[in-house]
Amino acid sequence: MPSETAKPPVKLSLPLEYQQDCFSELRNEDELVILARGLGLLRVVTNLLHSYDAIGNNLVVVVGADERENGWIGEALAEHAAISKAPAARGLSQVNTDMMSVGMREKMYSQGGIFSITSRILVVDLLSKLLNPETVTGLVVLHSERIIATSIEAFVIRIYRQMNKVGFLKAFSDNPEPFTTGFAPLASMMRNLFLRTPSLWPRFHITVAKSLEGRKKAEVIELEVPMTDGMRAIQNAILECVEVSISELRKADTGLELDDWTLDSALHKSFDVIVRRQLDPIWHRVSYRTRQIVNDLSVLRGVLHALLTYDAVSFNKYLDTILAAHQPPPGSNRQNQSPWLFLDAANTIFETAKRRVYTGKPVDEEAPGASGALPDSLSPTLEEQPKWALLADILEEIEGDAYFNPGIRDDSNGTILMMCSDQGTCRQIREYVQNMHVRPQQATEDDDVDSDAEVKASATLMMRRKLRNYLNWKRDFARVSASLFTENQKVLESFTDQMGANGYRGKGPPNKRRRVRGGSSAASGGGRPVNSSLQMAADRESQLATLIANIQPADADSEQKDEVAVDSLDDMEGYFELYEMNDLVVVHPYEGDMDEHILEEVRPRYVIMYEPDAAFIRRVEVYRSSHNDRNVRVYFMYYGGSVEEQRYLSAVRREKDAFTRLIKEKGNMAVTITLDGAAPSDPQEQFLRTVNTRIAGGGRLAATAEPPRIVVDVREFRSSLPSLLHGRSNVVVPCMLTVADYVLTPNICIERKSVRDLISSFKNGRLFNQAETMLQYYKYPMLLIEFDQNKSFTLDTFGTDHTTNLSTANNPQDLQSKLALLTLAFPRLKIIWSSSPYQTAEIFDELKKQQEEPDPIKAVQTGLIAGEDPSDQSFNQTPQDMLRAVPGMTEKNLSRITLEVGNLADVSNLTEEELDVMIGKEAGRQVYRFFNRSVLED
Amino acid sequence: QALPSRSAPSSILVSTRQKGNPILNNIRSLPWEYGDIPADYVLGATTCALFLSLKYHRLHPEYIYSRIRALGHKYNLRVLLTMVDIQNHEESLKELSKTSLINDLTLILCWSAQEAGKYLELYKSYEHASPTSIRAPQASSYSEKLIEFITVPRSINKTDALSLVSAFGSVRAAVNARPEEIGEITGWGEKKVERWVGTVRENFRVRK
Repeated sequence: MPSETAKPPVKLSLPLEYQQDCFSELRNEDELVILARGLGLLRVVTNLLHSYDAIGNNLVVVVGADERENGWIGEALAEHAAISKAPAARGLSQVNTDMMSVGMREKMYSQGGIFSITSRILVVDLLSKLLNPETVTGLVVLHSERIIATSIEAFVIRIYRQMNKVGFLKAFSDNPEPFTTGFAPLASMMRNLFLRTPSLWPRFHITVAKSLEGRKKAEVIELEVPMTDGMRAIQNAILECVEVSISELRKADTGLELDDWTLDSALHKSFDVIVRRQLDPIWHRVSYRTRQIVNDLSVLRGVLHALLTYDAVSFNKYLDTILAAHQPPPGSNRQNQSPWLFLDAANTIFETAKRRVYTGKPVDEEAPGASGALPDSLSPTLEEQPKWALLADILEEIEGDAYFNPGIRDDSNGTILMMCSDQGTCRQIREYVQNMHVRPQQATEDDDVDSDAEVKASATLMMRRKLRNYLNWKRDFARVSASLFTENQKVLESFTDQMGANGYRGKGPPNKRRRVRGGSSAASGGGRPVNSSLQMAADRESQLATLIANIQPADADSEQKDEVAVDSLDDMEGYFELYEMNDLVVVHPYEGDMDEHILEEVRPRYVIMYEPDAAFIRRVEVYRSSHNDRNVRVYFMYYGGSVEEQRYLSAVRREKDAFTRLIKEKGNMAVTITLDGAAPSDPQEQFLRTVNTRIAGGGRLAATAEPPRIVVDVREFRSSLPSLLHGRSNVVVPCMLTVADYVLTPNICIERKSVRDLISSFKNGRLFNQAETMLQYYKYPMLLIEFDQNKSFTLDTFGTDHTTNLSTANNPQDLQSKLALLTLAFPRLKIIWSSSPYQTAEIFDELKKQQEEPDPIKAVQTGLIAGEDPSDQSFNQTPQDMLRAVPGMTEKNLSRITLEVGNLADVSNLTEEELDVMIGKEAGRQVYRFFNRSVLED
Repeated sequence: QALPSRSAPSSILVSTRQKGNPILNNIRSLPWEYGDIPADYVLGATTCALFLSLKYHRLHPEYIYSRIRALGHKYNLRVLLTMVDIQNHEESLKELSKTSLINDLTLILCWSAQEAGKYLELYKSYEHASPTSIRAPQASSYSEKLIEFITVPRSINKTDALSLVSAFGSVRAAVNARPEEIGEITGWGEKKVERWVGTVRENFRVRK
C-alpha cells in the first residue's frame, strides 16, 4: 500500500484500515498505543521504524524488545528496505550484550540508524554520554505495560526527555490488563512514559471490527471435546487438593484474603499466582510450611495443565516424578510433607492416573506376598486423549473436502496448519499424525473404513511404545531415588549428631505427634487405606518386580512394529520434506507475534487449533482480511468443562474488561491532562519536584558547588536505586566495580542486598567474602539491607509458629543468627536498613552530606591486582552461582575456574587431572565426582 | 578499662536502666544479671549493645546521643539494637544510619521484644563461635547439592531437577545434553530448557 508520508516514496505494508489509521496517528504525534493482542502490533512498529529508516540520517532507539522481536524487526526492516529501494535505510543494529566494546558502540551510534538496545546498557551509555541523548531522533518503547516508576526503562525515558526535548517518543503495548490495576493506572503509566495521549485499539473498536468483519471473514468451526471419566475424576481430585491447600494457608493466619474463592475458581484463575502475589509483601516472613503449600499450589496447577496436554503414560510418569521429589528423607524429624499428599484425593489422582495406563492391580493392594499372583491379570489400558480421535476425524474431513472440492484453487496452499501450546504437545501430535500417515500409504488410500481402523491401531502402537519406555524408565528412576534416599538418610544422621553437639541446650525433643505419624505410616502394613505419601512410596518399591513382569506382554505385542515408530525428531523433519507444499501438515506451537509469520509463510487452507488461543484467532482474522484470495477454515477444539476452556474464556473476558476500563479512564483523564498543562510544561521538572522534597534546605548551598556524585557498579542498573538516585539530582557514574556496589565518598562504600539476595549470599558464603574485601579497601564499608517498596519492613516471622520457636536458640539457618555472626566477624561493617529504594536514596543523600565526592577512576581500580583490566572482571551471575553449589568450591577455586574455563559445560567435561592442576587434588576430585557420578548406580 | 566480662563470663550483663524492659522477659535460654555498665547490655568481652525504641527516640531525640557519649570508645562491636515500634520510621532511621556511621555503632533492627531478646541471646551464644556457617556453602549430601545446583536458574524446581538427572544419569550428561533431548522430558517446557541450556553454556566471564 502506498503511504501518506510526503517525502521520498516509502512503501509500507499495512493493508487494513485500522493499521493505517494507527500509523498516521503515530506519525503525527507522540502517544501510547495499546492494541488488542493478535492485531499485529509489531507490524505497525516495523512500518513506523521503516518510515524513519528509509529517510536516513536518523538515530532511533528501540527499548524493551526481546530477542524474537529483534529478529522480527531486523528482518522486516531489511525486507521493507528492499521493497521500497531506500538507499539510506540501514536496517536494525542490535546492542544486547556486554560483548560489544565501548569503542565499537560509540562508532555504531555515530553512524545512526535504528538501534535495539538492552535497557541496562542503554542507561549506562546515556549516562556516560557514549550515546548523547541530544543526537537521538526518537525513542520507541515496546512492552510499555512493564514500565513502572522505578523500572529501568522509565529511567531511560527520563534521561532522554531531560536532555532531549524535541525527539519523538512512542510507546506500544499489546497487553492491556496491567494498565488496569491500582489507582488511576493509565494516568500514572502515562506519567512514567512522559506521554499525554493514549490511543486504544480494542478488538471492538469500530475500525478494527469493520476491517476484520467484512465479507472476507474466516470460517471458524468450534468443537467441544468431552473429557474421559478418568480425566474428569483426576481433575476433580486436583481441585479438592487445591481447596485443602488453600484452607491450610488460611489457617496459617497470614492474612490471606480469598473471599471470593470457590472450588470453581481453581479452574479459571491462576490461583497460585494470586496467592503468591498476596503473600509477596510478607514472603520473607512466612513460615516454611506456608511457603511449601504455596509451592504445592504451583505444582498442582502444573498437574492440572499436564492432565490435558500429556498423554496418559507421560502424565503418570510426571506424577511419579512429583511424588519422588516430594518424598521427605525417611526418618526426617520435620513435618515437611506437603499436606495434599495425605488426602484421599491425592490417592485418587495417582491411582486413576495409573489406571489410565494399566489395570489389573487392586487399588489398595498391600501385602507384597499377594503380588506374586498378579502379573497375569495386569493389562495395559492406555487411554487415549479424546482430542486425538477428533483430530483424526478432522483430518479425514479435510481430506474429503479437498478431494470433493478440488476446484477452488486460490492463493493459499492446501497446507494444514496445526497449532498447539508448546513443543511438547507438538511432538505428541506429530507422533500421532505420523503414525496415521505412515499407515494409509501402505494400504489403499480411498478405503475409508480401513484407514480409519488403521488410525486407531497406530495410536495404540504409540501408546504401547510409550508404556514400554515408561516401565524401563521407572526401573531406572526407582534406582535413582533409592540411591538418593540412602544418602539422605546418612547425612540426616550426621546432621542430627551435629545439631546435638552444637546446640546450646541440646536438640529439642522431636515433636511427639510427628513421630507418631512417621512411625505409623512406615509400619502401616495393617488395615488403613492408602492415604499417606510414605505409604505410597513403599507400595511402589515393593511392586517394582510386578511392574517389570508387566513389561513383557506389552513388549511382545509391539516388538513387531518397532521399526515403524521412529522417535527421533530429526528424522521426522526429513520425512515431511518428501511431500509437496499442498500435502503438508505443519504442527507448530503458539509463539505470540511470530504466528503471523507462520501464517504468511505457510498460507494454510486449513488451520486446526489443538488448544484455544484468543490471540491466534485474531491473527487468522487479520490474515484472512489482509488477503483477498486466501480462504481459510479454522477448526478449534477444547475440552468441555476443563481448565483449558475456562482459561480461554476468562482471557477473552479480562481483555475486554481491561479495555473498557481503559476507555473509561481515558475519558476522565482529560481533567488531569489539562492540569498537567497548567503546571510547568516540563515533565521532568515536575518529577524532580515530587521526588526531591529537600531542595529548600541546606541542599541549595551545596548545589552551587560540585554536584553530588555517586559511583555505581554497572550491574546495579538492574535495580531501581540508580534511577532514584539520579532522580534526586545526583550524578550517577556507571563504572565496573570490583569492590562494592556503590561508592558514596572516598571512604564509604556500600554493598546492596535485597532480603532475598541476603539470604542466598549468606547461604553460599559470598557476602562474607564481599565484606572481607570491602573492609580491606574502604574505611567505612556498609551493608545495605533493602526491603522492597511494597513488602513489609520486618524480618520477624509470624507470631506463634511453634516450630521455629522450638529451635530458635540452635537453628543456625535463620537470618537473624547469620546477621549476628556477620557483625561479630566484622565489627567495623556498618548496616543500613532501608524500607524501600526511595528511602535508600534519602539515606545516601544524608550520608554524603559534607563529604568529599568519590573519584570514579580510583573506585574502579580498587581491588584490582595491578595491570588487570577492569572489564575482565565482569561475570555472569547465574552460572557462577551454579558453580558455587558444586562441592569443593571455595571462593578461590571459583575465581580460578571462572578465569580459566569458559562455561559450565566445559567444566563438566574436564578430567580429574585437569581439575587437579587448577584447584588441587581434593577439590578437583570432589568437583569431578559431582559431575561424573552416575545416579543410576550406587 | 576494666571489662566486666571477667566477672560473669556466661551470662548477659544488663544495666539497671533496663529494668522493666519487656525484652528481659524474652531472654529465656541464657542467664542474665544486672551490673553497673555504661552500655545497656554486655554480650561478651568485646561486644555491647545499646537499646533504643524508636517511639522513645522520637520523644527524646537527645537521649541516645548522651548514651553514646557515655559509652566513649569502649568495646569493639557496639550494637545499636533498635526496636521499630512506630509506623513512620523513615526519618529516624535515616538519622540513626548516619549516627551509627559517625559513632561506630552497628545498627540492628528488630520489630518485637521477642526478636530483640533473640538477638541478645544470639550475640552472647556466638561470642566464641567462628563464622564458618556464613563463610562457605554448607556441606550437605550429594542429592541436596545436586538439587541445589540444578535449581539455581530461575523457574527450575525440585521435580525438574529429579527428572533431569534421572533422564541423563549424571550431572555431566545433563549439562551436555542437547535442548531437544531435554525437551523430551515431561515437565520441561521450552522456557525451562532454554534457561537451563543457556545458563550452562553461558560464559562465566563477559568478555569484551
